[in-house]
Amino acid sequence: MNAIEVKNLRKEFKAYSSRSGLKGAFRDLFTRNYKIIPAVNDISFSVKQGEMVGYIGENGAGKSTTIKMLTGILTPTSGQIQVNGMNPHKERERFVQTIGVVFGQRSQLWWDIAVQESFRLLKKVYKVSDEQYEDHMQHVIRTLDIEPLLDKPVRKLSLGQRMRCELAAALIHNPPLLFLDEPTIGLDVLVKLKIREFLKEINEKYNTTILLTTHDLSDIEALCERVILLDGGKVIYDGGLHDLKENLADGKELHFQFLENVDLPAVKKATNGMPVKWEYDEKEQVFIANIENDDLLISQIIAVIVAAFKIKDIKINETSTEEIIRNIYEKGAVEVG
Amino acid sequence: MFYVSMFFQYISQYAKTRLQYRADLFVEFFSDLMSQAINLIFILVVFGHTDKLGGWSRDEIIFIYGFFLVPYAVFSAFFNIWNFNDRYIVKGELDRILTRPIHSLFQIILEGIELESLLGAITGIAVMVYAGSRLGLAISWYDPFLFILFVIGGALVYGGIFVMLACISFWADAKTSIMPMMYNISNYGRYPVNIYNKLIRFVLTWILPFAFVGVYPASFFLGKNEWFWYAFLTPVIGIVFFCLSVILWNYGVKKYRGAGN
Amino acid sequence: MDKYIEMIRVRFLMMLAYRTNYYTGILIYGINIGAYYFLWTAIYGGKEEIQGVSVVQMTTYVAISWMARAFYFNNLDREMAQEIMEGKVAVELIRPYNYLGMKTMQGLGEGIFRLFFFSLPGLLIVYFIFPIQFSWDLSVWSLFALSILLSFFINTQLNLLTGITTFFLYNNAGLIRAKRVIIDLFSGLLLPISFFPGWVQSIMKFLPFQGISYVPSMIFTKGFTQQEAWAAIGQQFIWVIILIIPIQLLWYLAKKQMVIQGG
Repeated sequence: MNAIEVKNLRKEFKAYSSRSGLKGAFRDLFTRNYKIIPAVNDISFSVKQGEMVGYIGENGAGKSTTIKMLTGILTPTSGQIQVNGMNPHKERERFVQTIGVVFGQRSQLWWDIAVQESFRLLKKVYKVSDEQYEDHMQHVIRTLDIEPLLDKPVRKLSLGQRMRCELAAALIHNPPLLFLDEPTIGLDVLVKLKIREFLKEINEKYNTTILLTTHDLSDIEALCERVILLDGGKVIYDGGLHDLKENLADGKELHFQFLENVDLPAVKKATNGMPVKWEYDEKEQVFIANIENDDLLISQIIAVIVAAFKIKDIKINETSTEEIIRNIYEKGAVEVG
Repeated sequence: MFYVSMFFQYISQYAKTRLQYRADLFVEFFSDLMSQAINLIFILVVFGHTDKLGGWSRDEIIFIYGFFLVPYAVFSAFFNIWNFNDRYIVKGELDRILTRPIHSLFQIILEGIELESLLGAITGIAVMVYAGSRLGLAISWYDPFLFILFVIGGALVYGGIFVMLACISFWADAKTSIMPMMYNISNYGRYPVNIYNKLIRFVLTWILPFAFVGVYPASFFLGKNEWFWYAFLTPVIGIVFFCLSVILWNYGVKKYRGAGN
Repeated sequence: MDKYIEMIRVRFLMMLAYRTNYYTGILIYGINIGAYYFLWTAIYGGKEEIQGVSVVQMTTYVAISWMARAFYFNNLDREMAQEIMEGKVAVELIRPYNYLGMKTMQGLGEGIFRLFFFSLPGLLIVYFIFPIQFSWDLSVWSLFALSILLSFFINTQLNLLTGITTFFLYNNAGLIRAKRVIIDLFSGLLLPISFFPGWVQSIMKFLPFQGISYVPSMIFTKGFTQQEAWAAIGQQFIWVIILIIPIQLLWYLAKKQMVIQGG
């Protein structure tokens, strides 16, 4: 059975627009203009038990709205949802027993009380027995290294500490399906790594399905084999991250750093006539040549550049996922075999 | 059963947080007491200039006020939803509530518990005893039971109305300050309804039935036969309004738009 | 100055945007005035006058008090409490304006809005439903206008004062509530100060509350002679000045505390 099954899902919002000025505002008292905006526009996909799926898209692409429908928070305008074999909104209270949710931007824990008090309360809320709790949570607490935080009130925790506790709280009832909405937002690298490790581990240990939205594509690269890409409320790509890279990223990036002062027009001039796109990363002081994956071309460009300027450093990279995604958004659609 | 055990879980958490801020607790007690006193002062001052209010004596009006304080205290302790719009809709805490396997309204009520408000019930009973003894009221064996029944009914009337007001937030696109304004209206149920004209009496009886939190049930204990019928209607109105509010709530949750969009 | 006036305008627009608030507001003010009208008729119970105030005057008093309240009333204390608890005040403090001044202007924007879109239409409706006596004397109206402006400042200052206390108390919801009921009673909104026993009245003379509602309402119902009216307005003005002192003092302490605690 699929963990998530979504068919022709749609969610519309009424967006009011206000007229400008005082006179306009006064008219708004009586009649108002509004538009119906589909935040999620007819999407379909399914996720198998045990899969880790990255759900990505720009701000306003409809990620959060989808997650909120999948978790039973919002009612869809139309379409079918089956999650863990249930309709999330119709059987909300029974349904949420089978999922865990982490919203990166919002706390799931009670602000004023100590973390372990929150855990205790949640344990009761989810009707978890003492043995289950001991058995499962000991491990979670150890892996996430939150033992020393348990007796502190949530408001005293740092963001990284809080996030680890949030994650533990979402797992108290050991749900077979986990929704993570921006779980690593604003976290430092070490905490990020720890959280990723942990997610991989529970996925392996309990075959937990994980649906993850994030702005940080390195999360997706580290965790997910499959991505669903959203734009303007529509799914524009659904498939392996690997395929996405293979098909779209048949390019390479050449990174150059120079010893002398070089500017962008100069490097462009040097490679004049060659199929190459130059970029300059000001922060890192690196010149990047985006080219197709063609061994001959790579050698040619390197040869030309080395001949023209004094080189400090050269790197040959695969096109980054970020770059790929940016390209997809610029083109607006994906055609992958 | 599960809900009862959850209730006590939340209460114990609540007690722990509350005891952290003892100074605030004290200020709150004090301010509650003060607002109760001020309403009494109003009655006393008014009766400095008249003997009867629509045929009711000063002590009777004070008795009604004392009775009103009890269901109101129960209501304030358990239905602390004044900030529902700000906290749960605008800041989106309802998202969290909706991902938990307990009825959403029940969770919100539990998170807002303010047991210290129950102190108002003690003030209320004291006021009733004072006024009742001056009026020479006798207590029958069934009076305490009816009293509890009427108090629950009255608290449910209050709860129902304010839950319905909170539901407005599911539809309205912006914040409203209806609840504090409604508080003023709720005060009119403390005066004999026969002083109002038909329209206001109708509103206070059937639309915003605040009269069932004060004058109607209290008139039973005051032996005002002509209002008995209304007095016994108190629990019925309470249950009806509260059920309506839960239905409206369940419907409203479906309309919830989510925050931060 | 421009930025403060802009604040008034923005607030004005915000108020217009909340239309549920607008409609229910008018309705609720109407019910309030109605209920008090009947309460007072019952209190009079056929008597010609109490403390030299006739029923009609009393009704007018109630109506005008509520309408004036629409102008001077605001929730600045609650807003400040929230901003302080959420730590937003620290951000406000680095903005290039006076935080308290800005709050006052917000309140004024709201007040002007309610005055025109709430009180005026409301008063018109009430005028046709209840027996109310309006004076068409221009001097009464201008004294009244001056007086409610001062009412606004006194009430707002008290709100700011209550709001600032949030810095020192973790949760001042109780204090805010207490302040509200005290003002309702002792400002003369619920009943004229002249109805209180003599000793209470003499205490009230030394408190700022009657400057909030009693003074403008008495001016409007011609309960004051012109001379008394000017004296009362003078008192209001003095209170506005006096209240600046504790506000500045507490604000100074609050800012110091904020530096220590880091907002």
